[in-house]
Amino acid sequence: MKQNEQVINKVKDALVQAGSSFREDKKEAYCNAIINETLPRAKWALETILENANVAERNHSPLCDDTGIPHLFLEVGPDRNITGEFLEAIKTGVARGLRELPGRPMAIKGDDNQRLDQSGGLDEDPGALLPAPIIAKPVAEDVIRLHVLMLGGGPAIRGKTYRVFHKHNVSVVTDEIISWARESVALLGCSPCTLAVGIGRSQFEASSMMIEAMVYGNYNVQSDLEKLITEKVNESNVGPIGLNGKTSVLATFLKVGPQRASGVRIVCMRPCCCFEPRIASVLL
Amino acid sequence: MKNIVTPITDEVINEINVGDMIYISGYIYTGRDAVLPKIVKLIESNTLGQAGIDLKGSVIFHTAVSPAGVGPTSSNKLEIEGNIPALSKAGVKLHLGKGELSRKTVEELDKYNSVYAVIPPVTALLGSKILEQKPVAFLEEGMEALHLLKVDGFPAIIAAAHGKTIY
Repeated sequence: MKQNEQVINKVKDALVQAGSSFREDKKEAYCNAIINETLPRAKWALETILENANVAERNHSPLCDDTGIPHLFLEVGPDRNITGEFLEAIKTGVARGLRELPGRPMAIKGDDNQRLDQSGGLDEDPGALLPAPIIAKPVAEDVIRLHVLMLGGGPAIRGKTYRVFHKHNVSVVTDEIISWARESVALLGCSPCTLAVGIGRSQFEASSMMIEAMVYGNYNVQSDLEKLITEKVNESNVGPIGLNGKTSVLATFLKVGPQRASGVRIVCMRPCCCFEPRIASVLL
Repeated sequence: MKNIVTPITDEVINEINVGDMIYISGYIYTGRDAVLPKIVKLIESNTLGQAGIDLKGSVIFHTAVSPAGVGPTSSNKLEIEGNIPALSKAGVKLHLGKGELSRKTVEELDKYNSVYAVIPPVTALLGSKILEQKPVAFLEEGMEALHLLKVDGFPAIIAAAHGKTIY
């Protein structure tokens, strides 16, 4: 029980950290965007967003009032064991973290129909919000490491998962991603975005790759494809919170998973908002 | 940056231009999809005063008030944008939210000498600038009840004023 309490508290703290702070590479990305921005109102918006991150971190308070749905990515080393009790401890840690952050109450009560049409009513307990199904990945490192991500509603509404006919040309796929991103970034309202993209053989795999892209993405380490997508979407001049400017997208995080012999790639694109990815990692 | 303190007078509005970056201080209301149509119904039935609501010179911030804090919702949703003209006519001088409003709404704002400002979704920063908060009407709406906040220096940018828009 003591071990589980340690796991619970570590997960709780990780969730609070995810919901209330920027990673260092994200702060640097904002600083660079501020330096490069010449439009005063766009610079003001970027500075205000970064100031918000500093206040949130200092106060351990939410970056955004849409505190998001917890998504969990678990790295498991070769000699490590995961039990059902361990997963329940993670779930309890998530609930405690949501109460401590505090999260916005968002869980809808009731049966399938009541949850679909929201007639079941809102659960006032922030901790009642269940995490999304957990993704577990074997890793070479001798660890159990949990990454907690908080995913908000705006990017969910503007994201897209769909098939792309590649025509044996990478540019065809990237052009489609750029087209989707330009439209969604313009509509999001909470730019600058970080584009999270996963490409796989099924909708589930593409979404999983998108989550993995968010976990391992780094603002200071961008591939040629990631830079290209960012550059092309920034040509749209949407700017921070739609006020125009050079930075509509801070970076792209792309994960290309295994592919099948077919004419189709399944692409999952999420225009993460100005605070996302909201992420923290902890060794369990 | 210009400092705007509620209640806001016509003279203050006359000095505001599109693109001005402002700090908002004083008492402001919060309301969004659920409650703004209800306020307009009170206006239409001439019972706003009975509900203890005084909109003259006021600011309405398009947000709910949750344990997580406050943050702007999209102001161009029908339940919000559709009620901006009636609220402006009733005395609201500054509508605070996010997103682009239609040309028609921008003209209606001008007609009643009201303005629209956009505020970034900076919940932690805004929370540090809220001095008081309480629900004042439609408490059955929970987080979306009409709230009254006392704030000190909410940062915003004027997005629509005097028939012009930043978009």
